[in-house]
Amino acid sequence: MAAKYDVVVVGAGNAGLSAAVKCVVEGKKTLLIDQHNLPGGCASSFRRGRFEFDPSVHEICDFGPDDNKGHVRLLMERNGVNVDWITVPECYRCISTYSDGTPMDVTMPCGREEYIAAMEKYVPGSRESMEKFFDLLLEIRAAKVYMNDGTPNDAKYMQKHFPNTLRSCGYDALKVMKALKIPQKAIDIIGVYWPYLGVPLDTINFFHFGNMIDMYVIRQAVIPHHTSHEISMTFMNRFYELGGEAWFNCRAEEFLFDGDRLCGVRTSLGDVECEQVLANINPDIIDARMIPKELVPERDKKLSAARGKKFSTKFCMIYMALNRSVEEMGFKDYCVFFAETADSRKEYEYMKSIDNDYNILISYNNLIPDFSPEGTCVISFTKLFSESDDWAKLTPEEYYKVKDKMIAKCIDDVKKNLGIDVTPYIEEVEVATPMTFARYLGTPDGTPYGFEVNEWDGIIARMMNIEADFTIKGLRHIGAGSFMADGYSSTWINGDLTAALACREMKEGGNK
Amino acid sequence: MSLNFKVGLIGLLDMLKFANLAKDREKIIAAAPAEEIKADYPVNNFAKAMHPDFQQFVIDGIIDHKAAGAKTFVLKRADGKPASYFRAGQYISLKLPIGDSFVTRPYSISSSPKWALDGKVCVTVRANPGGFAADWMLDNFKAGDEVKGSEGLGSFYYQKYRDADHVIALAGGSGITPFLSMAYAIRDGIEDFKLTILFGSRTEESILFRKELDDIAAQTDKVKVVHVLSDESKDGFENGFITADLIKKYAGDEPYSVFICGPEAMYRFVDKEVEKLGLDKKFVRQEFLGATKTVWEKPGYPQDKKDKVFKLTVKQGPDEYVCDCSANEPILVAIERAGIKAPSKCRSGDCGWCRSRVTSGEVFIPEETDGRRWADKQCGEIHPCTSFALSDITIIVPGEYY
Repeated sequence: MAAKYDVVVVGAGNAGLSAAVKCVVEGKKTLLIDQHNLPGGCASSFRRGRFEFDPSVHEICDFGPDDNKGHVRLLMERNGVNVDWITVPECYRCISTYSDGTPMDVTMPCGREEYIAAMEKYVPGSRESMEKFFDLLLEIRAAKVYMNDGTPNDAKYMQKHFPNTLRSCGYDALKVMKALKIPQKAIDIIGVYWPYLGVPLDTINFFHFGNMIDMYVIRQAVIPHHTSHEISMTFMNRFYELGGEAWFNCRAEEFLFDGDRLCGVRTSLGDVECEQVLANINPDIIDARMIPKELVPERDKKLSAARGKKFSTKFCMIYMALNRSVEEMGFKDYCVFFAETADSRKEYEYMKSIDNDYNILISYNNLIPDFSPEGTCVISFTKLFSESDDWAKLTPEEYYKVKDKMIAKCIDDVKKNLGIDVTPYIEEVEVATPMTFARYLGTPDGTPYGFEVNEWDGIIARMMNIEADFTIKGLRHIGAGSFMADGYSSTWINGDLTAALACREMKEGGNK
Repeated sequence: MSLNFKVGLIGLLDMLKFANLAKDREKIIAAAPAEEIKADYPVNNFAKAMHPDFQQFVIDGIIDHKAAGAKTFVLKRADGKPASYFRAGQYISLKLPIGDSFVTRPYSISSSPKWALDGKVCVTVRANPGGFAADWMLDNFKAGDEVKGSEGLGSFYYQKYRDADHVIALAGGSGITPFLSMAYAIRDGIEDFKLTILFGSRTEESILFRKELDDIAAQTDKVKVVHVLSDESKDGFENGFITADLIKKYAGDEPYSVFICGPEAMYRFVDKEVEKLGLDKKFVRQEFLGATKTVWEKPGYPQDKKDKVFKLTVKQGPDEYVCDCSANEPILVAIERAGIKAPSKCRSGDCGWCRSRVTSGEVFIPEETDGRRWADKQCGEIHPCTSFALSDITIIVPGEYY
């Protein structure tokens, strides 16, 4: 006889973990399965020699200090997930070229006043527009809370309380920042974070972009002390503590139906009956492979066609352990962006090539002195690719050569931009390509980001009508392919919210 | 709050535009054609070819190295496709159904990565006393038999941005295999570094792959082989063991990396010699040892547990098994003896594929083979391949796909 659960959560990435914990907090009998042998998806770790590496984390936004707790912090506290967090004091240093062609080298602090003051220093005369910008972000934050509370949105209420949000958030970020009369150079500096959303400023919805800036700049960002695996295991411990069960190295092969009602999951470890499934799987993959053809909803087909398989950013990560301390090496910043240009549209175009020069350096020991053994340090590089099929064209023999080429680029980047030569000190080096992400995450072309959040399919448009995308009774998508798109914070919140919807439906006797 | 700005020409239209975001999205979706959804992604296909759940091989040929007491099995992909490409020096994990058990064994690949393109990889298996799986393979494998294996695994390969341009390989017995693969790769133009192999054998007659190594050395000046005989004194050979002085003699003045692969007895001797060289950690790389066979000799082991037999409860998915677990063997071995198909690859505590959760009971994990993640150490996650029971144990193991 098949095992029986209230909820099966498929995919123990960030959204799956927060969803699973939410379900057991709500008292549901919950099974969490993952095709890999450990939880976390991107939020994980791996070991090489005497080092442990974080595969993906840069900064976790929306955490917040004691007196201004962000959604991520509230979510963790509410669900009893207590991680040893380290606060990130600076947003970033960015070495690039302004849109007007002049060289950029800026270091931006966290905190509204500090950020505005630094901006005034780099771009004199920007203060007034920056004040307006942050005022607007404050209102957007309140609007988001209102819109996310799970009840229908009242237009009149919103017009009264969030007029500026309504006025700005139908537009892309570039248009709104120009309307606020922010000088172009300041827009370039604010825009440094754009790749975290996968689309340039002329495409990303202002609500989405502004909210991200609010979460990074105003709300403190944090990182885990002992890699993202620590976070994922803290979720897991809480999940087990509340009676949850987890099967790893277990693949969800197909969803089982009773008529058009979802009633279970066929897994590589056996069939499971359940009332609700929370699927941390790209919706296209579910429809193409996991449900009977005749049950694929018309709307899913149309949505998929409208999206046209336009998946968001692909990553290549280069991880290095150096046998010198961070002081000996001379790394001064935790996070440095190296971009060819601050013009996000141009950079997006460059990123179509495997040979683009965009790179983000993370130097963990600057924030966490004991991140690696004494006298050593760990750094990582993040290279991004948009709409690129260069990776898919490689042959196996070329593959390792391209990995080496990526390492060489990183070595050159720190030499050229920071005057630091890491070559003699590399004790361990590893490269994760889009293929590596595809291997461990199973996402389309290895993107951790889901579908592109373009002009018509941004998170705000998705969030205004959340249930419309859940076309199959008893099945809800979570994770980067769902309504809040990519990012640690977004996927945790998305998993938690969606699990709450599923639990509420069960309470109301839904899906019976 | 009025910020006194408008984005569009008429402020009121801005508001409408926002309110219509969801409606506009629905319009675009409604206007799209209802096409069948396909999920076929080139990057994922590439990843699957490099890292399949397993490779189904057929034994295509067997080379008997009689004097060395070893055989090389030529494995060919049963589906006619190329074998998963690998880096010279990597190992594959063979999946062996022996009796009622499913056991795995890691073997360094002894062939050139180039052969993988033709669907072939070679592993060389040497008889060893008490070597349960090795003896089984040597006695039973014949041409045409089917065998499952993983893709190439592990980090024991040359990485030009990490290692010195010159690698001194210290090989003992069948520990030559990863270096043979590296030598082939250099000859075939796949790798580019200088490789000097100091190869310890007992007698001239027992040297594994002597002809192959000599042939490669004759074809490329990047590969040099020095035979070190422990049980014979002969002209044209180094005699005795691989010492620090011997390494220095062949290293020259340029920086070098030392790569080590051989039996446990060799590590015990060679590690001390390598230490004398005073090299940075980054220049010394060692292939896995496997789990200790004498855990009771490890520092901190509670002596009263030796020879005890405990009850092991194994949960895997919806299933539960109960079996005996000897204190003297890794928990993984008890799981395998019970006929449970549990995951494992390196069997040395490093790769983490067997990672499992202990929900009750106590284990002993020798420090030198404790390759766990930091958080796993805090949370009761263990690598059963190098963990030993100190009490009755309940453990949740992951599934396995082969």
